[in-house]
Amino acid sequence: MNEREFHPEVRRLLDGEITIADLPLELRVEGEEALRLLAAVDRTPVSLPAVTWRVMAALERRRQRVRWSWLLVPALAMAAALVLWIVRPSAVGPSAAGNVVTVRFVLVAPGAQHVSLAGTFNHWDPRATPLVRSGAGDLWTATLSLPPGQHQYAFVVDGTRWVPDPTAPAVDDGFGRRNSVLTL
Amino acid sequence: MLFSGGGGYWLRAETDAGDGDIVRAVLAGDRERYAELVDRYRDRYARYAARMLGSTDAAEDAVQDAFVRAFDQLAQCQDPNKFVGWFFLILRNRCFAEQRRTRTTAPLEAADGVATQERADEVAETVERRRALQHALLDLTPEQREVFVLKHVEGLSYQEIAERLSTSVPSLKMRMHRAYDRLREQLREHT
Repeated sequence: MNEREFHPEVRRLLDGEITIADLPLELRVEGEEALRLLAAVDRTPVSLPAVTWRVMAALERRRQRVRWSWLLVPALAMAAALVLWIVRPSAVGPSAAGNVVTVRFVLVAPGAQHVSLAGTFNHWDPRATPLVRSGAGDLWTATLSLPPGQHQYAFVVDGTRWVPDPTAPAVDDGFGRRNSVLTL
Repeated sequence: MLFSGGGGYWLRAETDAGDGDIVRAVLAGDRERYAELVDRYRDRYARYAARMLGSTDAAEDAVQDAFVRAFDQLAQCQDPNKFVGWFFLILRNRCFAEQRRTRTTAPLEAADGVATQERADEVAETVERRRALQHALLDLTPEQREVFVLKHVEGLSYQEIAERLSTSVPSLKMRMHRAYDRLREQLREHT
């Protein structure tokens, strides 16, 4: 047998069908090598908490695109007709201003008195976008309509504590803080 | 302690609804309920994807992409009560495709991606062994790696793997035994 290959009995050990005590003495060293291999298996759990909102955001983005593509067809047809009729192309066509994505930001902040959102979409003004507390609980939410593109943001707790979103990608803001990144 | 999330989909009370009920609700137009399925299964196969692809980042992309594809093809899920088995096959295809794409580019970088997650309290020797094994795993064929991951990382029996992959136990064992020999060879070269 090629010494690179495990002995069939050692393979049975690796498969969990026998224990090392079941191996004949001459195979024990090889058996221990096999068990060292299994001991190196990394079974650390992996958690991907951001996947849920990433999936749902991807589906929502696509739905917006589909919706706009459906609107675009009659709009362009109308535009073409009007161009032919009044020769004023600037008067028609879909408005880019309506092409936005609705995003709900959520924060659970026990003990917080005030929570707001600061980001590229409100000139980083921590007073511009307050979150609303849900009942008497610790849940704070804000729903924004944002244009497609990349936005950076952070939560601001009690006016002083800037908290990035741990479930979103983040970038260094150049001043020692991390900004969360939302791509729509 | 603060918990936060942008997008608003991840923070939600879990329900006891069965997979079949949720699939049927989504197909009937209640799209947001799909998030319940994602919540339920995103972590179950995260480790499988991470070990198959060699990095958590690649696993995250693969799991996300698989869920989006599953949503697109949801009407083709013949038995909604067995959504999870059907989803696993979509994720598996996505992992295999990714492996074919990156095979000649950066398997060693991918292995380093896993190694960076080493826990602080682990001794260096254990970490080094894990790193060496992860490198060796990336050198197996995707089919060999998969059977090793499902049995020795996920803890499934040959019978369970055979049912999941619609194959036979003897065929899996042959694949696994080749994997053992190849890993042995690789680890000996490493040391």
